[in-house]
Amino acid sequence: MSPLREALVLPCLFLTVALLGGLRLGPEVRLLPPPAGALVLAVLTVGALSRSRVLVLERFLHHRRSPLENLSGALVIGTLLAASAQVFNVVTPDRGLLHVIVSVFFVVQLLTTLAGVRDRLAMLRSVTVLLGCAFVIRYVALESLYAPGRSLMKRVMTALLEGVTLGAIEYEPAGPATGYLAFAALAMFVAGLVLLDWSEPDVRLTPEVFRLQPDATGELTVVETGRLEPSSRVRQPAEPD
Amino acid sequence: MAATWVRLSGLATSLLYAALIVWLYASQPQTVAEVTGGLTATIGAYRIDGQSFDDGRSFFRKDQFQEARAAFQRADPAQRDARTQFYIAYSFYRQGWGRVYNDDALFTQGLEAVERAIALAPNQRLVVDDPELGVRTGDELRAELQRGLTHDASDLNPLRLFRRRL
Repeated sequence: MSPLREALVLPCLFLTVALLGGLRLGPEVRLLPPPAGALVLAVLTVGALSRSRVLVLERFLHHRRSPLENLSGALVIGTLLAASAQVFNVVTPDRGLLHVIVSVFFVVQLLTTLAGVRDRLAMLRSVTVLLGCAFVIRYVALESLYAPGRSLMKRVMTALLEGVTLGAIEYEPAGPATGYLAFAALAMFVAGLVLLDWSEPDVRLTPEVFRLQPDATGELTVVETGRLEPSSRVRQPAEPD
Repeated sequence: MAATWVRLSGLATSLLYAALIVWLYASQPQTVAEVTGGLTATIGAYRIDGQSFDDGRSFFRKDQFQEARAAFQRADPAQRDARTQFYIAYSFYRQGWGRVYNDDALFTQGLEAVERAIALAPNQRLVVDDPELGVRTGDELRAELQRGLTHDASDLNPLRLFRRRL
């Protein structure tokens, strides 16, 4: 991965997601920090991304990297965590029973993904579908149902829902502009995940791992003196043309 | 070498951007003017519009409170100047003050403005040196507004009719 992408593009992309994720453009502008539940979801998401190798941690933090490289790698992971918290913040209703239901749904879904999905592409598809569905539920269905000036039928429906749940279901429309911002934030988040470096780290033939040593006949042979990382793979040389 | 510079500049940019986001979330600005005003105030470069402030004070002295507030808000669009916010709070107080009863809505807005002014003042100590004002400190004005919003038996005291507006 190029230094530009790692040190500038990815952190800025994820920070923008973190900014837009809490922005609510209603009658007044509000910036909502992520609730504690969203932080838990963010940790689960980063764990699932790492397990499915969407995020290859060794590419960002490794003892072979220089301190500056590790610092910028840590920044990418930190901003990814912040962006993950805010994408769940933006697609979850802000309070009430709906907030609890959607949060529990996310936890269950992420735990299932963490346990079952090991493939990078499958994980990317899973995250996109999960966030896309949550976006549709909140910004298409709920916003339409609770929009100001809604039809009589919708008012009757929401009144019935609130009556059945003894007033536990309450939803405050975020406004149409927030929906557009939320869509942009989700698109940027998925783009950021795609841009993460997912290639497996190469093994460098350094003196700590291999050494050239003359044998009894005087010919040089490669002797393994160290231990390869368990997750590392030796890249096969390309076939000569 | 170029990669090192790219990393260093990327790191600096990201940290500045993150600091800006944290500041935005902490200060909750409502307008672009509040964002720019807040940022310039952070580096000590914020200045109010002196002409509008003088206009506001002139309206204030003539008891034209709505006009005064419009001018003060033009002078301090980011709401970052303690003295201007004090005058805004004072205009709410004077407009809402009544010999028989006070206007609670105006007093509430006045209280919000004076709280803002006190928060902006250095060490939260706000003193406005204007001989034409009845009260010159933020603490006094806040106490006066809070007293005006309190309803108790003393509201029925007929001597209230003889009290003076500050």
